[in-house]
Amino acid sequence: MQRIHLSESQRVHNPRVSKVIERILNLLAFLLTVGRPVSAEEIRFTVAGYEQSEDEAFRRMFERDKELLRQLGISLELQATDAFEVEYGYVVPEGGYELPDPGLTDEERAALWLAAQAVRLGGQPSGPEAIFKLGGVPGSIGGEPLAANLGEEVGLLGDLFTAVVEHRIVDFSYRDTPRAFKSYGLVHRRGHWYLVGSLVSGDIRAFRVDRISDLSLRQAAGAFERPADFSVEGSIPDAPWEAGPEDLTAEVLFDAEVAWWARREMGANAEVTEEADGIRARIPVAHVDAFIGWLLGFVDQAEVVSPLELRERLLARVGSAS
Amino acid sequence: MTSAKTAKRLTRILSMLPYVIANPGVGVDELCDRFGYRRKELIDDLNLVFLTGLPGYGPGDLIDATVEDDEVYVDTADYFARPLRLTPPEALALLASGMALTSAGQGPPALESAISKLSRVVAPEAEGGLVVDLKEPEYVGLLRDAIEADRVVSLTYTAIGSGQTTERQVEPWSVFSANGNWYLSAFCRSADAERVFRVDRIRQAAATGETFNPPETAPPPEVRYTPGEEDVRTTIRLGEAAQWVADYYPVEDLGAGKIRFSSGDPAVAARLLLRLGDNAELVEGPEVAGLLAEYRKDIRARYGRD
Repeated sequence: MQRIHLSESQRVHNPRVSKVIERILNLLAFLLTVGRPVSAEEIRFTVAGYEQSEDEAFRRMFERDKELLRQLGISLELQATDAFEVEYGYVVPEGGYELPDPGLTDEERAALWLAAQAVRLGGQPSGPEAIFKLGGVPGSIGGEPLAANLGEEVGLLGDLFTAVVEHRIVDFSYRDTPRAFKSYGLVHRRGHWYLVGSLVSGDIRAFRVDRISDLSLRQAAGAFERPADFSVEGSIPDAPWEAGPEDLTAEVLFDAEVAWWARREMGANAEVTEEADGIRARIPVAHVDAFIGWLLGFVDQAEVVSPLELRERLLARVGSAS
Repeated sequence: MTSAKTAKRLTRILSMLPYVIANPGVGVDELCDRFGYRRKELIDDLNLVFLTGLPGYGPGDLIDATVEDDEVYVDTADYFARPLRLTPPEALALLASGMALTSAGQGPPALESAISKLSRVVAPEAEGGLVVDLKEPEYVGLLRDAIEADRVVSLTYTAIGSGQTTERQVEPWSVFSANGNWYLSAFCRSADAERVFRVDRIRQAAATGETFNPPETAPPPEVRYTPGEEDVRTTIRLGEAAQWVADYYPVEDLGAGKIRFSSGDPAVAARLLLRLGDNAELVEGPEVAGLLAEYRKDIRARYGRD
């Protein structure tokens, strides 16, 4: 039996990078076993890899290393090293390093990897790192996958997801109005991401994620409970005119020529009956402007039968023929 | 190497180690296969690990990594026995991708159970807090099968803006979803050019018996629009509530709230203006103005107001 010590075999990587990796592994080994907060000074004089640096060089190196840990998903907190709170030290809090075992099978990991390759969020397809963390996938996966782009860069969504998961209140600006919001969920429907939940002042609301700016998460986790009767799934309607302050049922005739298209678009809540020269649909409407906008796409191949008020509003929108 | 690359390499090391610790003696080939390593890269990473460990850094403190008859062992590294947790963007990307596939009726059966297991771990307090809805319109399945088999498809297609219906023969290249719509990228024999079609505007589709030779590199699945020489150019002033038009369509920003809108068919611009009503004003475009007036007249006639 041949036993080789690996360090004797040939090295291929850039030695400077290898130094960073060695140092981080040493730092992590120390932080994960020491069992108490440790100051930057202690790290500097204890962990292999920091010893030769000057004060300023150490500070910069340590800042970069902390950022690298954050990128890996590791959480690092500052805590007082003693009861007098004179000195603070770093600690990896409970649950700050490891992934609880989800108990995935290889088949399930392969399914997730297939999904990650087929669906994009924003510009970049997901790399395999998340799958590595889950235990890797044996073999490459064949087949032409479904190609879908869910839009939106993952950065902002990731922060909102954290807020949903940890029940943290967020502050953001929406169309120049500042909002404080309890995020109950994230919904992707009809090509957009929506943040749904309740304003801190009380109203249930949905905001389009691509219009959210200046987002910040408040520190406290568990700041609210999602009401038991709130359905994230049901908070964003099927058709764009189903969300709004109004409440009426429109009866509309669609010509046979466009009936196929109307049926596809009108959502599951509409009632449709066949007519000799087309279809008659009763459609619940909560946002009249959005509904009229949709109907005008049919030009003169659709007609509102009732209510009269809706007919008038549509004609007002059309204006005169001049 | 950038810090992103360093992070990737570290992530792979800290994912591979728990696997070796849980499966002592795992083969080099299996590790390479599972974590996408080339043999040399794996040995290199194990080499690095071998140089690290706990303060003292003596023989009992360093991690013991060995390869014996192509079997890998890692000892005295129990602190690395569990894999790293997922970052929120990683967790979200995996769950959202998985839900997109299942909502579209795609993906293997194991995907549903994978999503629920993963949700329990990464979002234990937020059950049902993430919803991804990517319903597939009719014919996506048929188109996918036709692409797989290189079959020519005949389409009855209604153009999005103009409402015009045509019959076409196309060589389908790919179907994809973007901005909430499903698209078909194809070579259109009728137009003798590549085209992107909205799948929900396909009224009827059927595979013909004929097959075609797919191009070696088909254009990337994305919505393309390049204004052509023949296109109708229209200048439109957008009101406050119509600003989305500038984001949604490939328009030219002329400043002072004005845009130039180009389309192959003036009906596209006319229908858009009809929809926008008071929220937009046609500044220039006689052809479009004529059509718009016609549409208004037709609608008023339908409502008995001429």
